[in-house]
Amino acid sequence: MKRFLHILAVAVVSFMFLSSSSFAKEVKVGVVWPMTGLVAAFGQSAWKGAKVAQSMEPKAKDGSNIHLILLDNKGMKVQTANAVSKLITEDHVKAVIGAITSSNTMAGAPIAERNKTPMLTSSATNPLVTKGKKYVSRVCFIDPFQGLVAAKYVWNTLHAKTAAVMIERDQDYSVGLAHAFIKAYKKLGGKIVSTNFFQSTDQDYSAQISTIKSKNPQVIYMPSYYQEISLFARQARQYGLNQVIMAGDGAEAEALLKIGGKAVNGVTFTTHFDPHAAATPLAKKFLKLYYKKYKGQPDAMAALGADAYFVLVHAINEAGGHKATPQKINYYIRHTKDFKGVTGVITIDPKTGNAIKSAVVRKVENGKFVYVTTVNP
Amino acid sequence: MSRNNILTILSIIFIFLFIWYGSHHFNPYVMKIWEEVGIFLMLGASYNLINGVAGQFSLEPNGFVAIGAYVAAILTLTPAQKGAMFIITPMVPWLQNLHMSFFPALIIAGLVTAFVGFLLGFPVFRVRGDYLAIVTLGFGLTIRVVANNTISITNGALGLKGIANYTNIWWCWGWAVFAMVVIMRIVNSEFGRAMKAIRDDEDAAIAMGINTFWIKMIAFVVAAFFEGVGGGLLAHLITVISPTMFTFFLTFQLLIIIVVGGLGSMTGTALATLLVIWGSELLRVVEQPMNILGLHIPGIPGMRMVVFALLLIIIMIFAREGIMGQKEFSWDKLFNLFKKNKVAQK
Repeated sequence: MKRFLHILAVAVVSFMFLSSSSFAKEVKVGVVWPMTGLVAAFGQSAWKGAKVAQSMEPKAKDGSNIHLILLDNKGMKVQTANAVSKLITEDHVKAVIGAITSSNTMAGAPIAERNKTPMLTSSATNPLVTKGKKYVSRVCFIDPFQGLVAAKYVWNTLHAKTAAVMIERDQDYSVGLAHAFIKAYKKLGGKIVSTNFFQSTDQDYSAQISTIKSKNPQVIYMPSYYQEISLFARQARQYGLNQVIMAGDGAEAEALLKIGGKAVNGVTFTTHFDPHAAATPLAKKFLKLYYKKYKGQPDAMAALGADAYFVLVHAINEAGGHKATPQKINYYIRHTKDFKGVTGVITIDPKTGNAIKSAVVRKVENGKFVYVTTVNP
Repeated sequence: MSRNNILTILSIIFIFLFIWYGSHHFNPYVMKIWEEVGIFLMLGASYNLINGVAGQFSLEPNGFVAIGAYVAAILTLTPAQKGAMFIITPMVPWLQNLHMSFFPALIIAGLVTAFVGFLLGFPVFRVRGDYLAIVTLGFGLTIRVVANNTISITNGALGLKGIANYTNIWWCWGWAVFAMVVIMRIVNSEFGRAMKAIRDDEDAAIAMGINTFWIKMIAFVVAAFFEGVGGGLLAHLITVISPTMFTFFLTFQLLIIIVVGGLGSMTGTALATLLVIWGSELLRVVEQPMNILGLHIPGIPGMRMVVFALLLIIIMIFAREGIMGQKEFSWDKLFNLFKKNKVAQK
């Protein structure tokens, strides 16, 4: 009996040793996303995408585990800065993924920059996020490109010569994108006949609608979020305003269809990804696994979250797995070339850190999102 | 010099020695949280001067902090940076060409905020109690609307970006200790006693010949000055500011600090600041996936808020008036405590 116990003890100890030694080889990656707070829906979506991506590629090439450490930033700047600081200087992560919104990413960026650790954002589209930064990169396109795609679509496909713009004054996303659209549209030869402002929590758009109606534009560009767009669409249709409403990626949410009902039919928007147009093998596999796990289609945030993970793991592999230094990983993130990700083919410009990739145009038809076209840069 | 003053000065020196030790031995994350503690200590103490000492239930801090942050940031940004950032409407030329170093920018931020506080004092102190809360709440909301709409000054919703990261631990704690000393001197002065009289019974204070309006105004303007400086420090710590940063949530956080610490107690504010700022960081542990005796618990986001809320409820049940109530820490009491023990031993 005693002997048996001895053998057992040795077995247990050696097993523990083995398992611990396999655990020792890991690459720590920090994730800073809003899991609570006002923009929690985006963070949770992205996290779902990243988790599915991790289940597809849990290890780096050299066999070391990719260990994701998720910290919640509540969608706030101070919390983002704290979280990034904790991940880099206390948990010693090799890279940070995050944050969702541009302004939060910018609050964390100086810390990544100072510690020479790469920060890869999935969905911060403001051009200033990576400006002058050596260690901040992104896997999404930037606002000027999205505005250009919308302007080109309006001008070339819808043949609209005049447009009205609806700007959500207190959202940097809306202000920035509207600015990009106006610039691109004017350059093409289009005319902005009316620029209107509103606030996030507005319920009544009759003042803006009557102004727009008197100017009679061919298209209304409203880069805003799904709630405002669906409310506006309902009221506009009631007042007999039947122009196409063009929007940005903020429109993409099931809630748009629920709140908007019939009124949002025809709402067209630029976005990052369409599950039906996903062409790469990685995207197909991702969609299948995502459906298996969550019983639904991933939205753009989830797809981008997954892409941030894939691009990062690819860079870690190139840099040499668990032995890679953050600087080396950053080098390979910035030299990502023709990476066939979930949201399309991603190339990151080594100088700016911005992704050069295609955008998708989708629209609402009979209460469903349908694919319209893909626009290449 | 009395024993108590010497001890106070010694403990301030001790605080700075601790910071000096920390800045060499602690990791930057820990120091960052200490910086935040310093800023919130200053904001909390000045807010407590209005709410706790003078007893005026005001909800203005987010407005004052916003003004301070914007003024300081606009002053330290270089003209080139401002030119690149204001993409919608160019900045007003005379503001764009203004550029100065950090310290004068902070002082001006404080003075501008104090001046706004002074102007605001005239209308708001015409009302008392709950009405004052509503009026000042309105002020906080107005500041946000103004920040969103004066695009040629504040860059609207896009906010100001790329602010230099000047704020370090010395700035934070230098200002925090300075604010603490100034506010404690006011509390223990003739003005402080008048403020407490107003808090306890305003009509009686008027009957005793206190000019309640000006006493309240002093509390308000001093608090506004430090809140403005605090805003400037915060802007140069985070390096990005936008109107969404200064919502009612900021006021709410300060309100938690002063109520948990004890309305009117500055030492209580210091303890509560530690609890609130460090608490929300240390409680990140409960959101991480854990393995307890082979049982795997996945991380639940938002769990720390639940635990923190429970903690606050427990504190408020067992200490109705906050951790310190209206009492302050004093050296005399500490020594008396030892003396009593000695007596008991004999």
